[in-house]
Amino acid sequence: MSEDPEGKKILVIQTHGVETPNRTYSPLFYAMAAAAMEMEVMVWFTMDGTNQLKKGAAEKVQLDSSSDVTLKTMLEQAQEAEVELRVCQQSLALFDMTMDDVIDGVEILGATSIIDLALEADHVMYF
Amino acid sequence: MTENPEVRGCVLPLNLHYNVGDHTWVAMNDDGTATVGMTDVAQNLAGPLLHAKPKKVGVVRKKGKPVGTVESSKWVGPVKSPLSGEIVAVNETLASDAQVINRSPYKDGWIVKLRPSQLDEELATLLTGQPAVDAYRERIETEDLKACEHVEGFEA
Repeated sequence: MSEDPEGKKILVIQTHGVETPNRTYSPLFYAMAAAAMEMEVMVWFTMDGTNQLKKGAAEKVQLDSSSDVTLKTMLEQAQEAEVELRVCQQSLALFDMTMDDVIDGVEILGATSIIDLALEADHVMYF
Repeated sequence: MTENPEVRGCVLPLNLHYNVGDHTWVAMNDDGTATVGMTDVAQNLAGPLLHAKPKKVGVVRKKGKPVGTVESSKWVGPVKSPLSGEIVAVNETLASDAQVINRSPYKDGWIVKLRPSQLDEELATLLTGQPAVDAYRERIETEDLKACEHVEGFEA
């Protein structure tokens, strides 16, 4: 077994958005798993991933045909699990979005901040 | 035999001590240890479990910190300890059969046993008997939690 993961920092970088639902589920699931293991977890939405966070977008993405689980469900569960959600400032502009368009509980960070966070993290998972 | 009340089909034995918010239970043992597990409500919300990983024997937990993690195909999360203490035993069955929690959440599906360090004050924060059932009923109804579905061979 590996050493106890508690307290380690995981940075998840999500570059996929609502147009590819199958690529949205696992990164959030892994983030929640890490949070359940008492790690500090941040999901960084950039490039197309940014559009997941647009108000009204995630609830239209059905992730499981056998239930009512949507991408919004996953984002809410992640926030409840204390996963920190961050959005890329430069990507917001790419989608003509401002923070007024973004769901509650998300903070904005610029490129240099994400580089700092990547250097500080114990592991980076890139999707 | 102890009666086992049900709320929306979810079994809630009267003799256990519950943290309703975290969906966990505690049973006090004659040797002073406390057995910890997930409630029937919790196993039902999670669905068929794929993995259950208790922390190791010897790990010291504060109340509210995880004694393990459980995951199904649609949910993953911690099992938060209802009591502070040292883990003195883990349920080895879980490594090969996580769904024992779905089948027997209050017996064979226990998660860990703790030696409590602040038993008197922390046990008092848990609910037992009818007050526990009433509190759980309120939560289930307020949050409109789905009725419990039990797999074949379920035992409470």
